[in-house]
Amino acid sequence: MIESFKHLEELAKDRDLADVFLETDAEEHGVPAADILEALSKRREVMRDCIVRGKNGGESMGKLVGSEARLLNEAFRSGKTFLDPLTVKAEIYALSVMGENSRMGVIVAAPTAGAGGIVPGMLMALEEERHIDPETTVRALVVAGGIGSIIALSANISGAAGGCQNEVGVASAMGAAGVAYMMGGTPRNSIQAAALALKNTLGLVCDPVGGLVEVPCVKRNALFAVHGLTAAQLAMAGVESVIPMDEIVEAMVRIGRALPRGLRETAEGGLATTETGRAIAQRLKDDANRRRAERAAERERMAEERKATGG
Amino acid sequence: MPIRHDRKVSILDVMGPVMVGPSSSHTAGTARLGRVAREILDEDPVEVHFFLHPPLASTYRGHGSDFALTGGAIGLDVDDPQIPEAIRIAEQRGVTVEFAEEDLGEVHPNTVRVAIRGATREAEIVGSSIGGGVIEVFKINGFQARFKGDSPTLLLFYRDRPGMIAEVANIIADEGINIASLYCSRKQRGKDAFMQVDVDSPLSDAALKRICSLVDVADARYLDKIP
Repeated sequence: MIESFKHLEELAKDRDLADVFLETDAEEHGVPAADILEALSKRREVMRDCIVRGKNGGESMGKLVGSEARLLNEAFRSGKTFLDPLTVKAEIYALSVMGENSRMGVIVAAPTAGAGGIVPGMLMALEEERHIDPETTVRALVVAGGIGSIIALSANISGAAGGCQNEVGVASAMGAAGVAYMMGGTPRNSIQAAALALKNTLGLVCDPVGGLVEVPCVKRNALFAVHGLTAAQLAMAGVESVIPMDEIVEAMVRIGRALPRGLRETAEGGLATTETGRAIAQRLKDDANRRRAERAAERERMAEERKATGG
Repeated sequence: MPIRHDRKVSILDVMGPVMVGPSSSHTAGTARLGRVAREILDEDPVEVHFFLHPPLASTYRGHGSDFALTGGAIGLDVDDPQIPEAIRIAEQRGVTVEFAEEDLGEVHPNTVRVAIRGATREAEIVGSSIGGGVIEVFKINGFQARFKGDSPTLLLFYRDRPGMIAEVANIIADEGINIASLYCSRKQRGKDAFMQVDVDSPLSDAALKRICSLVDVADARYLDKIP
């Protein structure tokens, strides 16, 4: 078993990082490398589908988001964006996936649903813009998943456990490692990309308005997809983190424990308890109660009908 | 780096599952918990009660956990596009579904007790959705358990007596199947006991029949990996 990033670096050295992960995962879980690649190839398709469907936007379950992907996509198509196409596409794709997620669409949790736009945003934009073979993208998903699995040895990957750093931070680290791999980086480049991405998300809290995966989650995925790309760019130029990846993960776990409960997905702090956040939460609660009352009345009506017809 | 987890999650668990949104812990994980209850019941449910730990009770609606738990309990997979319609589907099938809040003690915030009843029997689990769709079920029909749904598993309910573990292990060994982990608990010495056997490859119907016919076995369930 790969026990740490230090161990991974020793093991991978001059090898292909995806191969190292495929071998160890097959040993540990008894799933052949070919099956892992096939499953991830299907998941890449799910990501692709999400991006295609999500680009046009649509109202979310909580009705707090929905137009982000469409607006940015329209601006991009009409030449009104000013960032480079790779960056803009990463943002559009991350927003598209998260939009689908907020409408209860089928997505890939990467590593979670709430942070599920980051990895596809980064990888699919890069694949398109740099004309990278989809098979390489699938292998980058192996790298991203492998990085996540080592982080998950010591950290629970959920906002409830340690705040948003445990979700969005981990996703951007995974994606950054995948991007470095796709750009021909060494295993060390990938690990450094992950380290730079994760280090600079530490302390990020999970304070969703009304408890929904909508505000700030949807837009945050777009911003941190770009964050991950930046981390990969630095690492590919040889910039390295002073603090090693293993120690960054350890710091993340300690910070997560120190976070007050109100900032760990409970919707009892931060943005969730701002004036606007509270007002939205109240409206959602009123809506839910009204719907419940309507459902109860409907059930009663149906019961009455059955009685009346003697059925 | 201190390692806190005894088992490494696989690449496919991290880069997945494929699921209906919006939350892997509140939607995918809860759907899998509902599904575990359904699989242990092993017949169509008539009535399902979900008792949500307070933090989950305050956040579940916005994440569609009510749809997901219900979907799992009526047998839907986490990536089934019908999950958003699960409560309506359950109603059409005549399944009563109720939600209530209950303090489940010192547990993960996203913990739920599921009490499920079919035409001939009932089952109960307590489990947590710990993130990324990963679950930990720590109570099954009143017994302590350590069920994660990530491998084929035999659940055995029996009367505590010497030799039972060896007899079960022998039958599994006869099949050439490796036991990945074994966990036993009991309510009282010599009384009701529970055995959870995680295996590396699927158990045959014949082996399951042999295990069921052992003296003092009250009931057995064989669960595949929970999708």
